[in-house]
Amino acid sequence: MSAPVEVVVSADSAGQLWNCAVFELHSGTNLLSYRGGNTSARSLTLLSGEYILGGQVGKNFINVWEIQRKDQLQQKIVCPGNVTCLTASPDGLYLLAGIAEAIHLWEVSTGNLLAILSRHYQELTCIRFTDDSSHFVSGGKDNLVFIWNLASLIQLDSSRSSDPRHILSGHTLPITDIHCGFMGAQGRVATASLDHTVKLWEISSGEMLLSVVFDVCIMSVTLDPCEYFLFCGGGDGTIYQVSLCSTNFSRDKTFQSDSEGNQIFKGHRNFVTCLSVSMDGTLLLSGSHDETLRLWDIQSKQSIRTVAHKGPVTNAFIIPAPANMFLPDSRPSIPLPRFSRHLNPSEQGESSSLGGVCLRMGPNAQAPEETYLEKADKFYSLMCAVTDKSVFGDGENTKVRVSELEEEVKTLKKINKDLYDFSTQLLTKPS
Amino acid sequence: MTKRKKRQDDFQKVKLKVGKKKPRPDNATSVSFRSKSIHLSEQLRRDESGPTTHRQLGIKDLLSQLHHYNATVKQGALFGLRELLASHTPLVHQHLSTILSEVAAAFTDKDGVVRRAALRLLRFVAQCVPGEHVAPFFPLLSAHLTCAMTHISSGIQADALLVLDVLLEHYPALLAHRHAHLLTNFLELISQQKLGGGAKAQAKPGAGKTWALSITPERRTTAQQWRLTVLLRLSRFLEAVVEERAGEGGVVSADKVTADKCLVTPLELNWEEQPFGKGGVQVFENSGAKPTPHSTYRLRPDLEPGAGVDSVLGSLEAVRGFAETLVPLLMEVWVETVGADSGHLISDDAMALMQQVLTVLQLLRRLTPQHHLQEELDSWLRTSYLRDFRQHFMKNFPYSLLDTPIQRHKKKGEGKRTRQQVMGGSVASGNADPLGLNVTLCQVMVTLSVKGRGQPEGQDADWLGPIRSFVRETLMDGGRLGGRQLAPLLEVVWSLVLNQKSRTVTEELLQAVHAQYHQRNLSVSVRLMLLRFFSRLYLQEHLSRSKILARWLASLPVQLVQLGSRNPQLSAQILQTLQSAAAWRNKDLLQSLQTQACSLYDPVQGCVVVLPADSQQRLVQMLYFLPAFPPDLLACLSRICNTGRVSASLAATLIRIIHLRSSLSGWQCSSQEVAVRDVDYFSFLFSTLIGFCQDEITELQQREDESIALPSSFSPFSIYSTPEEQFTHHWDVVEVSAVCHCLETLGSRSQCFDLLQNGVYKTLVGLTVVPDSVCAAVLRFVSRLLDVNVIPNETLLNFLSDCCLSMLSLFLQLEPGTHRREAVWGACLAALSTVPRLLRLVLQALRVGDLCEEEFPQVAQILQLLMQHTHLRNHMIANNALLQQIIQELTQYSVESRDQWLTDLLYCYSTTVSSHRGNLF
Repeated sequence: MSAPVEVVVSADSAGQLWNCAVFELHSGTNLLSYRGGNTSARSLTLLSGEYILGGQVGKNFINVWEIQRKDQLQQKIVCPGNVTCLTASPDGLYLLAGIAEAIHLWEVSTGNLLAILSRHYQELTCIRFTDDSSHFVSGGKDNLVFIWNLASLIQLDSSRSSDPRHILSGHTLPITDIHCGFMGAQGRVATASLDHTVKLWEISSGEMLLSVVFDVCIMSVTLDPCEYFLFCGGGDGTIYQVSLCSTNFSRDKTFQSDSEGNQIFKGHRNFVTCLSVSMDGTLLLSGSHDETLRLWDIQSKQSIRTVAHKGPVTNAFIIPAPANMFLPDSRPSIPLPRFSRHLNPSEQGESSSLGGVCLRMGPNAQAPEETYLEKADKFYSLMCAVTDKSVFGDGENTKVRVSELEEEVKTLKKINKDLYDFSTQLLTKPS
Repeated sequence: MTKRKKRQDDFQKVKLKVGKKKPRPDNATSVSFRSKSIHLSEQLRRDESGPTTHRQLGIKDLLSQLHHYNATVKQGALFGLRELLASHTPLVHQHLSTILSEVAAAFTDKDGVVRRAALRLLRFVAQCVPGEHVAPFFPLLSAHLTCAMTHISSGIQADALLVLDVLLEHYPALLAHRHAHLLTNFLELISQQKLGGGAKAQAKPGAGKTWALSITPERRTTAQQWRLTVLLRLSRFLEAVVEERAGEGGVVSADKVTADKCLVTPLELNWEEQPFGKGGVQVFENSGAKPTPHSTYRLRPDLEPGAGVDSVLGSLEAVRGFAETLVPLLMEVWVETVGADSGHLISDDAMALMQQVLTVLQLLRRLTPQHHLQEELDSWLRTSYLRDFRQHFMKNFPYSLLDTPIQRHKKKGEGKRTRQQVMGGSVASGNADPLGLNVTLCQVMVTLSVKGRGQPEGQDADWLGPIRSFVRETLMDGGRLGGRQLAPLLEVVWSLVLNQKSRTVTEELLQAVHAQYHQRNLSVSVRLMLLRFFSRLYLQEHLSRSKILARWLASLPVQLVQLGSRNPQLSAQILQTLQSAAAWRNKDLLQSLQTQACSLYDPVQGCVVVLPADSQQRLVQMLYFLPAFPPDLLACLSRICNTGRVSASLAATLIRIIHLRSSLSGWQCSSQEVAVRDVDYFSFLFSTLIGFCQDEITELQQREDESIALPSSFSPFSIYSTPEEQFTHHWDVVEVSAVCHCLETLGSRSQCFDLLQNGVYKTLVGLTVVPDSVCAAVLRFVSRLLDVNVIPNETLLNFLSDCCLSMLSLFLQLEPGTHRREAVWGACLAALSTVPRLLRLVLQALRVGDLCEEEFPQVAQILQLLMQHTHLRNHMIANNALLQQIIQELTQYSVESRDQWLTDLLYCYSTTVSSHRGNLF
């Protein structure tokens, strides 16, 4: 059996059998499970394909597993409060956690707490990174969504106040879910809220593009990889599919006049809390409070498979299978440091990092000018060598070459002379 | 012979005799008639080249007369043109180019009467030609205007300003595009350029020339009045330029911040309408290579600015250069004006002039091409002119009017005339009140104060102090301010509060505004303005520490209750603020909201029922943030759901919100304490399910009404038929939307069913009169909630069977096709098919012996319907014995009249049973 390409990672709030489990996407077989504790909603995340992190329900720590050692809880990161949402940046460099009203930002390589952003007025419900890790979006129970620029937050210049790049204040009830589209800072972000709406925003300008009103509150939202469709999980167990580029063609197809029927996935009986679409855009994963996980075929809107859980599903997503996941002997490339709980590392007495280099921006910081100069010099000398050779030649080589050529000329002359003699004989003979 | 005699000759000879009158010949012409000519004016006119004036002059004649040397002829021609164009408007468009060029040429005519006539003609033409038609000729017009403005004769200069007035009124945008030439002209009108001579040391190294105020003694008006007229036009012109800028660049001026700026128009969709939406959804215009034009990411500055902005005011440097020449001039004007008067008491004219100076300064600041450059300009103004401003403006700061009644009486008539002439009759004399002047001064000065937090306090205290005290006193004065004065005053307070981080100062100012807010009898617009001020302050600037603001917020729920339905607009504004504050967990507000909750959500006259639909929705959404739901509030809410004054969908929203706040929903409420206790939540759901409160039901028991059907053995209850819309609403709330769904998702179904069973047992069992909506709802919830492993109580089953029978009999009475009939039938069927015992009980209760003969057909019909239904057929077969017995009794009792219904029933029975057997074997 070859290793699966895509896997489903899911967790429920009961955590009786396992904390979180990994399923094969197409066959639904349980591949791995990670034990110990349980995970709260929207707080399960994968850190650079090597660790799985999940916020514990009702306790102030984060469970960490190495991805290949399934049974063993590796570490617990103790936080200042209960973790309500958690996410790691796609490049694996930063970790974000919503703890009560504040967002905590850690640097993974050192474990330093870089910033505590307390702009929300109430508890956070969801944090998401854009796919290029340049921005992140946070939503809370205070109806507000903030778009933050990561680079401006982690600058050493602490005098600058940390303000979000955009404040999206269109919702009128708490935010339940956020999904960031592709294309980084030029992408779109979809937000779902209890006020029965799903809104689509542009990250670059912070303007609202689309607002869809439903009959029920919306608990989860996702976009398919092409961003053609918006999937919205309702509070009554229905999943709605909104086409983002619908044209008027559908009017002509009288066969599809019952268009409401084919825009809805029916099957769940309670809040649909998690939605995720597979890489090729054909399968939709949904997790619900009715303690099941369902897999749907998007084209036909049918439920392909149902996986029962022991409690309300809190996290479920489809990811490309990390390389290390099925190699029991592999090791993570970097060990996880101790995550600090305070903003200023010097207070803890970690003086080693105080005087040392604080490299936050720019991966290649070792005197790049010199190397570039050297490179330029090298290039220059190379180019000079080439031109010198072509014009003046090289002492030893040319002599040999000249003698070779002279010899050739000699032989050619000889042949020519022979030819001449032969032809003159031929011409003069009859006479 | 006789024949011959009688015959007359053809040519009789006429004998003429002397002394007798010559007889008239037969063929003589009578000249007694009079002739008159007939004018067919229309025909004649068509023959000629076009319509004419009353002097029979065509448009060509008139235009050619404009080149006449005589002023009277020219004036006459202009008058004629106006008359002609007024009567034949299409001519204007035909000859627009010639008319405009001739009229424009007349701007610089040396005769005043001609110029005035040209002006009137221009005004007329401007009225009937839209801007886009004039645009191609505008360079010509503005060239002539420039010519007139820079003319050597002062009369022509003065009249040019009147022309400018007309153009500003009708074509502000076009004029604003040509500011390059016009701005310098304005300067030349009141000053003269001194070429930097070698002797004079140049004050500014950058500028090669300086300007100084000029005085022309031969002018009829005083220099002061002349400057006033020029400055007035200048300010209007700058205003037009600023407006134009705002239109093209999306620059948000300070007073427009309240209005929501929306650069991208978002698409609003409704889920139901979405598949049938017309235009289709398109949100991908800007995806990919080209980011949206409104993106805040700026990789490099825009290379080409907007089309309308040309070199003069296109960049910050250009504006600064213009300001460098203008501001000193304005300062000179100010100094001369103040110098004429004494101290802070100034005369009427001077005040108007000062007002204009300040207005121009204010507009100058807004001239920057981009919004973010404004701060840069501000800081530049501060560094270069703050000292001058402070010295001159603030010296006698709170200015007031010098009251000179005697003088005024004397020269009232004369003064008025000159004034009118000066101002072109278009400026309101109310412009020059001292309050307005002082407020504008404050506005100008406040923009110069230091922004940013890092600046030391007290740097500007010496001049900000008087401003602050002035603002405070004006607001605290108790006098009512109109919207026109209040708006700039609030702007001043806004920037003072934002720039000043000292808390006591801020509090004092806010206190003053709050005092104004608390006055009675404010007009709605003013009240709205104050409300917006506070809510903006709260929403945008996060001044949550302010006590005044907290007090104001806490008072909002009370105000909302007091407002009731009187002013929906005001209520909507309040609600918007309330909702945000509630979402941001403002403690004072939540406390106040909690105390007022019962009156806000009163089912009879609370805001939630009297306000329009969108406000209702806000109110319902606000419920989510209430810290606690006491039982009486829940009772109110349940009544709101049932009375039908809010829509069914909104009621569903309400129920869902309460569901979310209860601990049973499972929505993450880790930190919040649970707001709704489980007991209260169940009572809420149950009372919403029933739809009637206890009192109403007991009152129904005693009621004698025709709407209450009498009980019979066939229908054990007297059914009270609720009004149609109430039934529909209740059914929607129960079935279509939330109640059943909430009950279904509660977790353990059997416990939930037990609870509701008890509820039914306590409140409903034993009643004689039951509303039909209650019956339907109870049947519905039983069918949805009951599953296999729950055994319902015996009493409940009896009650249900009674319900079922009554409903079935009601079903037969209703005329087909109604919503109610469908609902009743659906509820009965669902209940009967989920609970097989219920069917048995119903059949047992059909005791044919107790029925009277008229009811037999009905019983037969019901049986038939039940047998025909596919879901019920098997259950019916299971109760075959009972069924057989009923049918036997029916045939037995109605033996004397074997009617159609009986044969139908028998046939139906036989087919059902036989098909069943067929299935069996």
